[in-house]
Amino acid sequence: MRSIWPGRITGGWIVSVIILCSLGILPLLSPKVYFLSLLYMVFLYVVLAESWNLIGGFAGYLSFGHVAFFGIGAYTTAFLMSTFHLPVASVLPISLLGGLVSAAVALVVGYPCLRLRGPYFAVITLCFAFVVQILVENLPFFGGVEGLWLTPTKETVAFQRALYYELMMGLMVVVLLVVRGIEHSRLGAGLIAIREDEDVAQCLGIPAPRIKLLAFVLSAFFPGVAGGFHACYLTYISPVIVFDVMISILIVLMTLLGGGGSWAGALLGAVSLSFVNEFLTTFVRAEIARILYGMLFIGVILFLPNGLWEFIRNASFKRAHAER
Amino acid sequence: MNFSLLLQSLISGLLMGGIYALLGVGFSLTWGVLRVINIAHASFGILAAYGAYWALTLLHVDPVLSLLPIVGLLFFMGMGIHKAIIQPITRAREIMVASMVLTFGLAIILENTMLVIWSPDPRVLTPSYAGRAILLGDIGIPMTHLVGFGLSLVGILLISLFLHKTHIGKAVQATWQEPEGAALVGIDLHRVSRIAFGLAISAAGAGGIAMAMMYAFDPAMHNLWLIFVFLVVIVGGVGSVFGTALAGLLIGIITGLCMAWVPYHWINAITFGILMIVLLIRPHGIFRTGV
Repeated sequence: MRSIWPGRITGGWIVSVIILCSLGILPLLSPKVYFLSLLYMVFLYVVLAESWNLIGGFAGYLSFGHVAFFGIGAYTTAFLMSTFHLPVASVLPISLLGGLVSAAVALVVGYPCLRLRGPYFAVITLCFAFVVQILVENLPFFGGVEGLWLTPTKETVAFQRALYYELMMGLMVVVLLVVRGIEHSRLGAGLIAIREDEDVAQCLGIPAPRIKLLAFVLSAFFPGVAGGFHACYLTYISPVIVFDVMISILIVLMTLLGGGGSWAGALLGAVSLSFVNEFLTTFVRAEIARILYGMLFIGVILFLPNGLWEFIRNASFKRAHAER
Repeated sequence: MNFSLLLQSLISGLLMGGIYALLGVGFSLTWGVLRVINIAHASFGILAAYGAYWALTLLHVDPVLSLLPIVGLLFFMGMGIHKAIIQPITRAREIMVASMVLTFGLAIILENTMLVIWSPDPRVLTPSYAGRAILLGDIGIPMTHLVGFGLSLVGILLISLFLHKTHIGKAVQATWQEPEGAALVGIDLHRVSRIAFGLAISAAGAGGIAMAMMYAFDPAMHNLWLIFVFLVVIVGGVGSVFGTALAGLLIGIITGLCMAWVPYHWINAITFGILMIVLLIRPHGIFRTGV
């Protein structure tokens, strides 16, 4: 995992550290709660899209049910917090536990499902997410369709917003470092080989079933943790909120828009689409916003099949060549 | 066990299954011939249902009659859509994945356009014979269900005849089996794909109208229909009209029986569960031998 840390300090690293530090101290300047919430949602989507990138972008296995892991993490955390009336201080460990539960479920589900390829895998993961949602809705101790309320805490709203903002940002940094590390590791190379041609990859001695499963479990762990934070952030969850199929689809779109298979692509896609989303839902009628959204899907596939990041990189590459 | 309840749920499941089959056949065709997974497939069914709804409420035309012009229009619409957005991606390596995202976008556009035009209120097609039923002893069969089932039978029969008896239909089959070989013997792949796509969309339209005679529909309904379409096509085996038809009937019967004895909120869990199990055990369908 040598490559997680910078070999030498470059301009890119300095810029990233400056951006992260200024984002980190933002809550201290007591901005409007709206901005903290907006950025919190952006961080959440970056976490989800980057995690999805591991299995969908690198390995080419399109999971359309990733929201299930987010929801499982959220429900685990909310269930434990509300049953045992835990304090705010326990959010982090309990959310990590939620992530572990998600990862365990991914291990059990991924083992048989990852034998399927292409559209079959996409359909079975979609089904899996629906089945989990129906199970949660119908099991009485999870509160059914009414959902779960978390115990109110004494902390002020501003403090809580700032706390979850920082937690989600921390998680985002961890996920970005992990995905970036994997991109330059043997694991990443193996996953990309699987995406290009799984049979050839296996002939070359890449243990495809094992590393696919590893990528799937990792890509389920982080959404689980994020789900835990989100449950505490909302203080109320219901199946419709945390198992919303639109979240699954949105993170697929974000990654494909930015460019799957690279950490920068998914980051770019998640950030830009979150802001587009926010802009559209604020200023345009919901139906019209979704029509524009659908056009975005079609436009991306037709004109940017490899994603925004690839497009930008190629453009700057060409410019560099032209200058020489 | 109550015998007439069993028979009643068997029959209504069977009638239902016929319509699943008609909805699924076109989906299977695009998947098999074009390698395109059309997520927007069921939305075209809803679109046709709204067309029939307008014809019925504004012009007082029976859905069975208005079906013909609607299906014809959808055929040309499908050809246009293929030319505009499907054909450009056929050269992509990951065509299935690309097509899923692309047609998902199309489905969102269609759904929300329909929301703007027709609002999210559920509608139902009520032709003059709605509410009437044929009684056989204890068992009642609503006329609308019977007409819908008849439409499905005719539709599937016509598609099957087209594929096996006409020249262009044979070209579609050839493309299905071996695209490169078909191109070598002088089949215009783009033209054949365009026709197959148009045909698939019009079959979806006919299926949508048949479905709308039985159940209420709204623009967001296509998600649920699509799940059943997936179920039918995967159980029947992709690219088999006969398998799709049989799978439709089978799934109709299963859901019919479930509705009689299983609590309502578990039915979808059972449907998805069956789909997952079939996918894991026999992803190429239960009526097909080999891959």
